[in-house]
Amino acid sequence: MDKLEIIKELNVLFQDVLKKGEVKLAIESTTDDVEGWDSLTNMLIINTIEKKYSIKFGFREIIKLKNVGDLCNAIIKKAA
Amino acid sequence: MSFISICFTILFICSIVLFYALPKSQKLILLVSSFIFIGYYHIAFLAIAVGIAMITYFAGRMIATADNDKKAGWLLLSSILLLVFIWLALRHPWIVPKSIYLFPLGISFYSFQALSYLIDIYWGDEKPERNVWDFLIYMLFFMKFLSGPIERSGDFLPQIKGEKTFDYDIVSFGLKLIVIGLFKKVVIADNMAPYIDNMYAGMHTASGVQLLMTCLLYPIQLYTDFSGYTDIAIGGAAMFGLKLAPNFDRPFISKSTSELWRRWHMSLSFWVRDYVYIPLTSVTRRMGLTGISFSLIITFTALGLWHGAGWNFVVYGLIQGVIITYEMLTTGLHKRMANAMGQSFYNSVFIIRTYLLYAVSLVFFRAESLSDATYLISHISLQVNSKWNEINIGMPDRNTLVCSITFVLLMVFEHYNQDNNLIKVISKKPTAVRWIVYYIIVLILFIYGAFNTDTFVYLQF
Repeated sequence: MDKLEIIKELNVLFQDVLKKGEVKLAIESTTDDVEGWDSLTNMLIINTIEKKYSIKFGFREIIKLKNVGDLCNAIIKKAA
Repeated sequence: MSFISICFTILFICSIVLFYALPKSQKLILLVSSFIFIGYYHIAFLAIAVGIAMITYFAGRMIATADNDKKAGWLLLSSILLLVFIWLALRHPWIVPKSIYLFPLGISFYSFQALSYLIDIYWGDEKPERNVWDFLIYMLFFMKFLSGPIERSGDFLPQIKGEKTFDYDIVSFGLKLIVIGLFKKVVIADNMAPYIDNMYAGMHTASGVQLLMTCLLYPIQLYTDFSGYTDIAIGGAAMFGLKLAPNFDRPFISKSTSELWRRWHMSLSFWVRDYVYIPLTSVTRRMGLTGISFSLIITFTALGLWHGAGWNFVVYGLIQGVIITYEMLTTGLHKRMANAMGQSFYNSVFIIRTYLLYAVSLVFFRAESLSDATYLISHISLQVNSKWNEINIGMPDRNTLVCSITFVLLMVFEHYNQDNNLIKVISKKPTAVRWIVYYIIVLILFIYGAFNTDTFVYLQF
């Protein structure tokens, strides 16, 4: 799994959770760049990611995730 | 020592003059000014604040140097429990006899600052401060001591490391912000406050329409009072070259209650988001929407309880949590409504709806008890006791006009002053234009200002 592949999957996952037509994430995307991705929806996204990739994040790992790039790295590390 | 007092003005002017005249002693001047400011209220307030600051300072260093994560976790937990115990014991006098009890001003604000400092160290987001004097300034700096903003150590501490040189633009910007804050407080808030207070004190004899107007006007009084205080705090700090966190961002244009809480008392709502809501949702996230809803309701109830231990504050917080949960669960519906109604019409309707819901919830915040709050809400109507002029809740026509016109002007000003653009634009106008604007504002301040009180609503928390 590389980052681009994960971002493609995350685009679909974000669309489902945020109930949006189209989401285009980039490595540097943060909550400021994606409408609807905020503190209310963030944990729903994390939970859906955990289910999709069969991984589990610790609380301190979650709070270290600052952008989509961090999220991809964490998924790659956990799923390896 | 209130911000609106001769003593504070003298202390502030002396501190500013000495701060720039003696650049090598800037930290000493900030610390001594803060000690005088706090000790002037009561020497015990100073002792308590210094005590809590020192506990936090040493706890932070111990957490950072703990041998392992488990020990650091225990140290954090014990420090949090100790700080929360002290806060609860002093905030609600169930330990100290009521006869000798004095509420230590600012304790809710600096205790929360202490908690965020320790948690950030444990999470590895911040390093513990080595310099005890710098740490004391972070905890006790007089411009934010009484009612915040609740500062994060990572934002504040780096700012006090260097020597500050006099910057005319920053100092004059700070001064302008202080004048805007004073304007909000004495021209709007204090011209309304006595009449809203009267309505709450005599609600059982007030007419339905008076109760309706009391409910509708209180958010304006609270906003102009608290954001006025905050402008003075941020402006005063800016004059020392220190940038404090913003606390308000035009809350009355919010289209939802969740947006309102990103614009209202931001330093507190971001605090509860980061240190209560996010940890809670990380535990409950596997329950999906139910877990998130549960966390939201617990978080906002805690936010309500931060204001006081009454059931009215529980209900105030609960209302926010329930509305935000509803909004989160109906995101799709709101998108469809916006499409069907047209974005502009949708925005107008939901700005009004958000204001009305917040106004009703604030009745629980303002009332002395749950029964008073439910009485007021249940007796709201369009009925008058005798005349229609009861609609002005007893305010003289002069006050009604002053408050209405200046509040509309304030809303227009805030609309065009996003990121302080308007202040900067006015600063670049020719001298004659600028001074005409300044004179008009100061004249309105002194002619129409109500200098009958020196207290602020949030001093009680």
